[in-house]
Amino acid sequence: MDDPYKDLLGLNLPPERLKEVLAAYGDILAEIRKLQSLDLTDVHPAIVFEPTAPYRNKP
Amino acid sequence: MSGELWRQPLEKLAPAIRTGKVSPVALTEACLDRIERIDGRLDSFIHVSSAALDVARVAEREIKAGKWKGPLHGIPVGVKDNYLTRDMPTTAGSTAPGLAFAQRDSAAAGMLRTAGAVLIGKTRTHEFAWGNVTPPVCNPWDLSRVPSGSSGGSGAAVAAGLCVAALGSDTGGSIRMPAAACGTVGLKATFGRVSRDGVVPHSWSLDHAGPLTRTVADAALMMQVLAGYDPADPACQGQPVPDYAKALGKPVKGLRIGVCRNHFFENLQEDVENAVEKAIGDLAAAGGKVVELKIPLLEYGLGAIFAIELSSSTAYHEASLLAGRVPHYQPDVRMLVEMGRLVTGPDYLKAEQYRSALMQAYRKVFESVDVVIGPTTPITAWKRGEWTVQVAGKPESVLAASWRFTYPYNLTGLPAISVPCGFDRDGLPIGLQIAGKPFDEMTVLRIAHAYERGQDWKDRWPPL
Repeated sequence: MDDPYKDLLGLNLPPERLKEVLAAYGDILAEIRKLQSLDLTDVHPAIVFEPTAPYRNKP
Repeated sequence: MSGELWRQPLEKLAPAIRTGKVSPVALTEACLDRIERIDGRLDSFIHVSSAALDVARVAEREIKAGKWKGPLHGIPVGVKDNYLTRDMPTTAGSTAPGLAFAQRDSAAAGMLRTAGAVLIGKTRTHEFAWGNVTPPVCNPWDLSRVPSGSSGGSGAAVAAGLCVAALGSDTGGSIRMPAAACGTVGLKATFGRVSRDGVVPHSWSLDHAGPLTRTVADAALMMQVLAGYDPADPACQGQPVPDYAKALGKPVKGLRIGVCRNHFFENLQEDVENAVEKAIGDLAAAGGKVVELKIPLLEYGLGAIFAIELSSSTAYHEASLLAGRVPHYQPDVRMLVEMGRLVTGPDYLKAEQYRSALMQAYRKVFESVDVVIGPTTPITAWKRGEWTVQVAGKPESVLAASWRFTYPYNLTGLPAISVPCGFDRDGLPIGLQIAGKPFDEMTVLRIAHAYERGQDWKDRWPPL
């Protein structure tokens, strides 16, 4: 795997641009790391799969 | 009716139009004239409707014939440029080549038309409703400053009297932040209360549609038209729509006013803090019972909203990424759209777990209070081109500061209004945010209106 950003994440950017994007992501990643530290094992995500959605009456 | 028509709020114009004391044509002409004279400095409209006067003439004929449709009949309303409209182009603030948006009415635009409103033009949005600024729009209170964003065109236009009310959209604060910065009222109702059908998506589970208005009563009148079930929006709920006017004119005595001291009162400008503390004191003096509280979980919110917003936005723009259009986006929007691939699936789901936990924390809070109030934003309007501001004596990026107090209500989907509560030492407006239980816009409006009636903020105009 020559380029993990491209091959794993689909982030297909020239090297200089990739550096800029990664640098800008640093502060956000720190906040996401903080979120990762929360133990929410028993909490269902706020996403509800609704199989009846396609049967709603569309106008 | 005395005074210039463009200065009048919807709550006064509606009965005057109904009884023939005000002409919808004269009102629309007054707004168009104001746009012509003022908007060269504000840049709040990207498109002015060529049909507005014809629509106003039709409204006038209908009303004279006894076919009054309701309070919005004949009222000029601005539409944010991320709402599809059948007779005006939609750009979502983007000039990237190869983008095309349908020429049909969004649900909200359609509801306004059905109610007889005159859609006077499209107000500017930051590209794809990203961002806390709205270039090139200027703040009417100080042209060297931003109107905030992303509904900055709507905020500036309403504040300057270029239209009576306007539509905005709110993914992390984009109705409430410009309302606070421009000195207007901005209401983000409960997620699922107002249809987003035909609003160009930013982040599906965070996006809200809603109004910016001059007064709280005007927001109630707009909500009466906009609220309701729409099967075309998968998030819309069939909750009964109350008569919002019944929320107005009631006292706050006996209501429990929550003040969350962590998060919402950390790192804010001194003038903002003083104005909000004064507002809390005014509500207490009016008989509201102030309850101090804390929600420690708020500390983790920024990572959650970034994870959801970035990944959602990148998913929406996938086709544009593949087609090579994204490098033509504005530099800040391009950066955020390209960045979204770095958010992993587990991060996204962790953020959605966090939302559940935060919603539960608020549910518990609402066992002991009726609303939670605080500043809408920690800062007032900042200088155009400035990316760092002084907050509590320390430099902070405007990106981090501006939405710190608004995004919790996008994560939780709770209704929240921003109402003017004073001015800082530079004469810039300050916003008070009032949030309530799910689908309890009535209590939010009640407290906002009770507060507004005791002040004269809504009677002040920017020095244009």
